[in-house]
Amino acid sequence: MKIKRRDFLKVSSAAGLMTTVGCVQKSPNALSQDSSQKMIGPKPGEWKPTTCQGCTTWCPAEVFVQDGRAVKARGNQHSKQNDGKLCPRGNLSIQQVYDPDRIKVPMKRTNSSKGRGINPRFVPISWDEALNTIADKMMELRRDNESEKFCVLRGRYTYMRDTIYSHLPKIFGSPNGISHSAICAEAEKFGSYYTEGKWAYRDYDLDNSKYVLIWGCDPVSSNRMVPSAIKRLGDVLDKATVAVVDPKLNNSAAKAQEWMPVKPGTDGALAGAIAHELLVNGLWHKKFVGDFNDGMNRFKSGQTVDESSFSEKETHGVVKWWNLELKDRTPEWAAGITDVSAAQIRRVAHGLGKAAPNVAVWLGPGAAMHVRGAYSAMAVHALTGLLGAADSPGGVLQTAKIPMNKPPKYKKYQDATAKKHSKFKKIDRRGTKAYPAIAKGKSGGGVVTNNVADSILNNDPYDLKVVIGYMNNFVFSCTGAERWEKALAKIPFLVHLSTHASEFSQFADIVLPSTTNKYEKWGYVKTKANRYATCTLLQPVIEPLWDVVMDETEVPWLIAEKLKERGFSKLYDYFYNEYPDPETGAKPKNGLEFTINNLKIQTSQMWDGKKDVGGDKINGWNEFLKRGMWNSSAYKYHKRWGGKFKTKSKRFEFYSETLKAALGKHAKKHHAGIDEILEECNYTASGELAFVPHYEPPYRFGDVDEYPFDFIDYKSRLNAEGRSANCTWYHEFKHVDPGDVAGEDVIKINPVDASKFGLRTGDKVKVTSVVGSITCTVKAWDGIQPGTAAKAYGQGHWAYGNTAAADYNSAEARGGNNNTIMPAEVERLSGSTVRNGGFTGVKIEKIS
Amino acid sequence: MVQNTMVIDLQKCVGCGACAIACKTENNTPNRKNGQTHNWADYIHETTGSFPDVGYRTLPVLCNHCTDAACINECPTEPTSVFKTPEGVTMLNEERCIGCRSCQEACPYSMDDVLKDGQYSVISYAEEDQPYDAFFADKKELIPGCTSSGQDMVKTVGANPPHQTKFGHNEYSDSHRPGIVGKCIFCEHRTKVGEMPYCVDACPANARIFGDSNDPSSKVSKLLKAQPSFVLLPEKGTKPNVHYIRNYKKA
Repeated sequence: MKIKRRDFLKVSSAAGLMTTVGCVQKSPNALSQDSSQKMIGPKPGEWKPTTCQGCTTWCPAEVFVQDGRAVKARGNQHSKQNDGKLCPRGNLSIQQVYDPDRIKVPMKRTNSSKGRGINPRFVPISWDEALNTIADKMMELRRDNESEKFCVLRGRYTYMRDTIYSHLPKIFGSPNGISHSAICAEAEKFGSYYTEGKWAYRDYDLDNSKYVLIWGCDPVSSNRMVPSAIKRLGDVLDKATVAVVDPKLNNSAAKAQEWMPVKPGTDGALAGAIAHELLVNGLWHKKFVGDFNDGMNRFKSGQTVDESSFSEKETHGVVKWWNLELKDRTPEWAAGITDVSAAQIRRVAHGLGKAAPNVAVWLGPGAAMHVRGAYSAMAVHALTGLLGAADSPGGVLQTAKIPMNKPPKYKKYQDATAKKHSKFKKIDRRGTKAYPAIAKGKSGGGVVTNNVADSILNNDPYDLKVVIGYMNNFVFSCTGAERWEKALAKIPFLVHLSTHASEFSQFADIVLPSTTNKYEKWGYVKTKANRYATCTLLQPVIEPLWDVVMDETEVPWLIAEKLKERGFSKLYDYFYNEYPDPETGAKPKNGLEFTINNLKIQTSQMWDGKKDVGGDKINGWNEFLKRGMWNSSAYKYHKRWGGKFKTKSKRFEFYSETLKAALGKHAKKHHAGIDEILEECNYTASGELAFVPHYEPPYRFGDVDEYPFDFIDYKSRLNAEGRSANCTWYHEFKHVDPGDVAGEDVIKINPVDASKFGLRTGDKVKVTSVVGSITCTVKAWDGIQPGTAAKAYGQGHWAYGNTAAADYNSAEARGGNNNTIMPAEVERLSGSTVRNGGFTGVKIEKIS
Repeated sequence: MVQNTMVIDLQKCVGCGACAIACKTENNTPNRKNGQTHNWADYIHETTGSFPDVGYRTLPVLCNHCTDAACINECPTEPTSVFKTPEGVTMLNEERCIGCRSCQEACPYSMDDVLKDGQYSVISYAEEDQPYDAFFADKKELIPGCTSSGQDMVKTVGANPPHQTKFGHNEYSDSHRPGIVGKCIFCEHRTKVGEMPYCVDACPANARIFGDSNDPSSKVSKLLKAQPSFVLLPEKGTKPNVHYIRNYKKA
């Protein structure tokens, strides 16, 4: 115990406290002397617009700047989505820009040996040396006629991305611009695409909802419209019922009228039972789905229905769905699988039916990112169709159009080598027999990000020699993280563009210091919420700290200059010739001018006044910069009703003709049947069942006897994806994640399981799956289903900085990275990394 | 007479953490050290019941600006360093404060040492003869020559903390000194010029409402009149002016 001044004063009070105090009071000081004249109030400053990319909401934001310093943040006051407010991430971000552990200068490794725990011995180098080295390595590939072995790995991006991850590799001569998209929730998009024809995240009209069913996510914490959901949830609770499906008590569930703690991976069964109950009780929305010809309901449990007895309106295949899947999916059947009671399933189904079509079924990754999650995503999203909620007030909406221009055409800048080599197979093996990734109906239409590690390790389809990663940290953020350690160590020349010396950087030969997106970079993104689509600019609200550059545009420009010096000028020519300032026609003289021109070219429709594009009227470039954003007009209800859904049948499909065609094409390409493809992709369905939303039993790594817990991975509401763990406030306020403990990384289990396994809150534990182990702290908590163990993603950094890691120099992790214990499986049909659905069995052992 | 009051609507609150972090950006408070949180806004989290009938709620906490403030009664300086303003704010004069921590001991919502998660203290003490925030006094570079250090960052940016929000006030400063206590002052540097306390502005749920509870036409008065409310530890008799309305969970 410290000696406090109070104790000292108490002792000295016998000697006359008042005298002591009097001295203190009389002592002259600047503050008290002229206190009456002191100006009360904030010192001068300016709110400057930019964009927060702390999560995928991509909020239009503003930063208060005093004396050139960023001091605090809020939402853009013009935003019709966040209404000028940000979530905790927006406030936390101030610690990211002023993080002492940010990289100040380009650095190169001086230790040629690579691996976790091997100190790269980074030393500072000049930009010139860094760029010369990169250009030399790239030219070697051209010289050796293997330019396809160049690869750009994309992480957090803006829509300036095409420059670095499309134009750079394609003009250089490589097909390999690989995005991070599939480590996120591509399987969710599968659900909406193969029912209503939209490969995109959806919008939810909360203000007008009468029933909100949140499924496998926590909208007030994460999932793409966070401040908008935070603002509205309290009011929604007054006028609507909110039900939340999640095996753990999340923030929304803690406030909702109904919590349905579903057994992980059984979402498809629960959705099927809700659909069954809606149909047998005549609660489907007849204006959307249609009705029996004679108005008599023939949906009776266990009985097939004659298709010709039902006439559909905006939908396709409801009777086929019933006959193939739903007729036996009673609430009692589902209760036995999902651990949600039949009574609750009925209550929720009836509530939804009564509120239809003003119902928002909010589909989140927890229902989709399973090994067999494509069909559960469809099953949950099909409820939107059954309830007539697609494009309805209070329902599930799509996006109003954002009038963007595509970047200038690049093809004429491809020489013969580029043309040939950029058509090589991509490194991620998309579209191969076992990895259909049928995004937007096309075999190989999507990315399979997490395959890249295996491709590198197996030289399949070939090896990579020069790789540039930007704002990504796949060795931390991808499941099966250890494979990435080996893969990155194998790459002969790796460049990382990053704000921090992250785990990925530890394997890099050269690290280039990057701007922070929110505070120091030019760019733009598109986003939506609350019926409005938005284009919002990223702008440098402060002078960039240190010797940093913009990753997506400045770095390619600088590389282009160096390649030109070495006799390859195509990239430079493209940038120089095709990106004149659209107002003055002046060609760019440097990376900054190229960036601004690029931005102006892509966004001009919103500010040049040449054409009425709807939404906000903005008078010129300078006004656009000052406002920082553009709002669309409100999304029009019922926009796609009347046969305008972009599916094969032009209707909302319960029997997916769109999926049938896509799977058929993929199977044909590989001279196989659809059943064979499904089997290869870990699915159990065969025949016609493959074309309707249905229940697939969960796929699990690890035997239940040895690994008794279903592991639940979810996102902390303080995660700026994987990038905020070096902020002290992240750890200070970690307990805002329900059940979590500030300053700790806890795995939460039910108290029943805690006593069963002899574990107590605060115990240090080792958590082990079939692929790896992590250490963290256990917390016995009632908000979690027995048999499951939940831990938020975000900690377990062994690099990144002094706060994020326990010891950066010895690569000692602070907490545990969930991606170490989750196996690297993907949902094959979409390419999505698997994170949910109880696919990882774990055991938890006390460390003595 | 004015009584500045805050009402926190628990149905609107989602427990997100924005207010407490925003408070740190506005009031330039340091990182936790020596059992002192320096979180002028903080949280109580409560889990009740057992699976699946579980309740969970967040209670945002801050100085209650009590009408009968125990902290003032115990302050030994003359005049007292903690005192009531005409607007009913429990104000701290940073110059008069001698850092004796009697206020912290007297306050029912504060404690000497916050050692466990779940505890909080609305009054914190910054150790004498130590940097106000050790984080920004640190000279260690993560990668020598390639990254910065806390001290280097402060020097480069020209402020401590680097994100320091600058404002003026005659009782307290935008750059606190060690050896004294710190607490929420209802952002009087903002309210005196017609702004809301920053936690009110920053709350994305609009769950915090601020105003004069002695003015029957104010929003806080109307809310408190219209529905039941509660305060923390009413049995201590300090008459808090932070009130909670409605329930975190919708019944």
